[in-house]
Amino acid sequence: MSRKPVKNSLWADSWKQLRKNHAAIAGLIILIILITASALAPLLTPYSFEQQNLELGAVKPSLHHWLGTDTLGRDLFTRLLYGGRTSFLVGICATAVSLLIGVPYGAVSGYAGGKVDSVMMRIVDILYTMPFTILVIILMVVFGRNILLMFGAIGAIQWLVMARIIRGQVMALRKQAFVEAAIAIGASHPRIIFKHIIPNVLGIIIVYTTLTIPHVMLMETFLSFLGLGIQPPMSSWGLLIKDGASVMETYPWLLISPAIVFSVTLFSMNFLGDGLRDALDPRFSKGKF
Amino acid sequence: MMLKKITSLACTLLLISGCSRRETPVQIGNREQILHRNAGSEPKDLDPQTTTGGVESLIQDALFEGLVAWEPDDTDPHPGVAERWDISDDGTVYTFYLRPNARWSNGDMLTTHDFVFSYQRLFSPALGAPYAYMHYVIKNAEEYTKGDITDFSQVGVKALDDHTLQFTLKAPTPYFLRLVRDRSAYPVHPATILKFGKIDEPNTKWTHTGNLVGNGPFMLEYWQTNRKIKTVKNPYYWDAKTVRLKEIHFYPIEDVTAEERAFRTGQLHITKETPSERIQFYRQNHPDLIRLDPLLGTYFYELNTTKPPLDDVRVRQALAMALDREQIVKHICKAGEPAAYNLTPPDTAGYTSRAKIEYDPAKARKLLAEAGYPNGKGFPKMEILYNTHKAHMGIAEVIQQQWKEALNIDVELLNMEWKTYLAMKQEHKYDIARASWIGDYIDPSTFLEMYITGGGNNNAGWSNKNYDALIQAAGSEMDQVKRFELFQQAEEILMMEAPIIPIYYYHNKALVQSSVKNWMPNPLDRHPYKYVYLEADE
Repeated sequence: MSRKPVKNSLWADSWKQLRKNHAAIAGLIILIILITASALAPLLTPYSFEQQNLELGAVKPSLHHWLGTDTLGRDLFTRLLYGGRTSFLVGICATAVSLLIGVPYGAVSGYAGGKVDSVMMRIVDILYTMPFTILVIILMVVFGRNILLMFGAIGAIQWLVMARIIRGQVMALRKQAFVEAAIAIGASHPRIIFKHIIPNVLGIIIVYTTLTIPHVMLMETFLSFLGLGIQPPMSSWGLLIKDGASVMETYPWLLISPAIVFSVTLFSMNFLGDGLRDALDPRFSKGKF
Repeated sequence: MMLKKITSLACTLLLISGCSRRETPVQIGNREQILHRNAGSEPKDLDPQTTTGGVESLIQDALFEGLVAWEPDDTDPHPGVAERWDISDDGTVYTFYLRPNARWSNGDMLTTHDFVFSYQRLFSPALGAPYAYMHYVIKNAEEYTKGDITDFSQVGVKALDDHTLQFTLKAPTPYFLRLVRDRSAYPVHPATILKFGKIDEPNTKWTHTGNLVGNGPFMLEYWQTNRKIKTVKNPYYWDAKTVRLKEIHFYPIEDVTAEERAFRTGQLHITKETPSERIQFYRQNHPDLIRLDPLLGTYFYELNTTKPPLDDVRVRQALAMALDREQIVKHICKAGEPAAYNLTPPDTAGYTSRAKIEYDPAKARKLLAEAGYPNGKGFPKMEILYNTHKAHMGIAEVIQQQWKEALNIDVELLNMEWKTYLAMKQEHKYDIARASWIGDYIDPSTFLEMYITGGGNNNAGWSNKNYDALIQAAGSEMDQVKRFELFQQAEEILMMEAPIIPIYYYHNKALVQSSVKNWMPNPLDRHPYKYVYLEADE
């Protein structure tokens, strides 16, 4: 009953901790700027992401085109903003999918223990051995290509790791006094898992989420590289980097700015994740993850 | 301290000099006569009778040789396996005299019976050879292929003796010698074919490493999927003394950027093409390395006429008329390719099509409205299928945009790797597909015969009785002027019906190292390897 104030002070404590970590705060601010800019893309640029200008072609960064234009004369700044929408969307949605599957799965597996745990974890092991690319290709062939499917496919891979981590945490927690107390009172298993255990692993979940999002964004890049991800004229950071890399000797600016933005995003997320980890769970030391 | 510095300096120097002394594959090749050529993609197969792509063809040219062959500097038929030939006065009987010293790469004698076997294989209904139709000028070939007759001895291909081969044609065919030079008429080794399957069984293992027996100047050493195809000089080749190259290595690099980089770093002697953004650079800085020559070929889009809405001719015409091809050739292709408004490239053996698709967005909009899609409303979402390639993607993106602007319709892009792309086209599992046709011989028939009903390369699924009749009539017309007139009428139908949308006529734009000799411009992009040799400039 007295958990509420404790919880509050934990959050307040964590926030205090986090604020002390300058890298994490810088990461957070950069992310907020990038996400806001992507979300408000139409307001920030007079161009459309698919409007071609063949007469113009690829031109260097200028006052009209802040980051230059690509070979079809499309404004790179605009495409970068719209690409950010795709990349963030993929990152957040696919991570959400992985959370939705991975957290309950891991929690149930860790809580139940014994044979149930063994079976559930062997399933995870088997799925883990499935080559990701082949799985995605199969899904694409069966369901056709759409962006939702890609979220699903990436999420369906990512949840495996999530489930393992949650399971480990839950296994440690279920021996704790408060869980045994809940059992003694006669709380049902689902109630124990979702009301008592999961709130206690929330820290881990948040930390891991901030690390999964950049990973998923990288995966989208990889899929786009293979031509399995986003299809033109839509853009994503992965696609922009791929296109830029293919003409980097002639039109270097097409690679430089997407690559910088993407790296900065990844760094920010990782710093933020690091910071959150330290703030939320003092037991974890840096670099152990 | 000083010593340490000196040591590190010495190490660095050693490292640098070591790097500069390391030879590139091209330099080694120049010395050892090993040619490195990019084929541009992983070949579907090496079987001459069942393949259609240019990728396969340029490898098969090393492994096989037809009755008639190429010389580096012209497009005329020259003696190949046949040392000479007679043509009857009425032009319907061709008698070829084979070289007595012609052999297979395993040492077996190459005889006329092998050719008869190969033609029987080509025309076997069960093999489904996509190029069989091209040889329908041979008497009874069409009947045999369609299963109307089952006795191959009635087909006009006969071995008079071991070294005399006679063809009887339906009608005089001025380009017949060029036809027997096509790779679909390359001989295959009967014992090898039968060892790995039946005569009419496609996709057997006979073309795999260690199995393939050919008769060309080179023979297959190994085929590593997605890595390399290595061919070595064939000691049994009848003219082995002319062959100066020791080995040819074919690579399946699809990415033009990677290909150009491989060329620049001395990994390749010959590329398939040049990335369009680099053309300007090479023209200015290395005009000797870039070869921009007209190629007898057309780049076009094929429309799947078997499914709505593309079964409606008005929709097809609207799509064809809404394209601004000049924009595409000027800004995407960049090698001076002419925009195409019909299928057959201009001046193909003296034939230039009258029929032209016009560029008229207003009319296109009207046609689309008549078809039931005013201002693109209700137009189903369609996909443009293309094989993974930057240039195809660029063109598809521009076309996507042009259709959007002119017709207000949305199409999506779908890229697939080469084999899947071919399979999807052949199974009609597409809406709009990028396509190209490089002439097999210099005559309009190589382009127009493609679209006869049920033709092996007619992936549009298009069928028109009048068109078939005109092509057939042209096939038996002796008078060249009348024959071309029939082709004119056929092409008019083809452009009216628009199962295809021509976009531009090809230019060859390969990068060729200056050490490659006897590599001449050729409108069909055929370069007889037996005359090619390597000589590094001093």
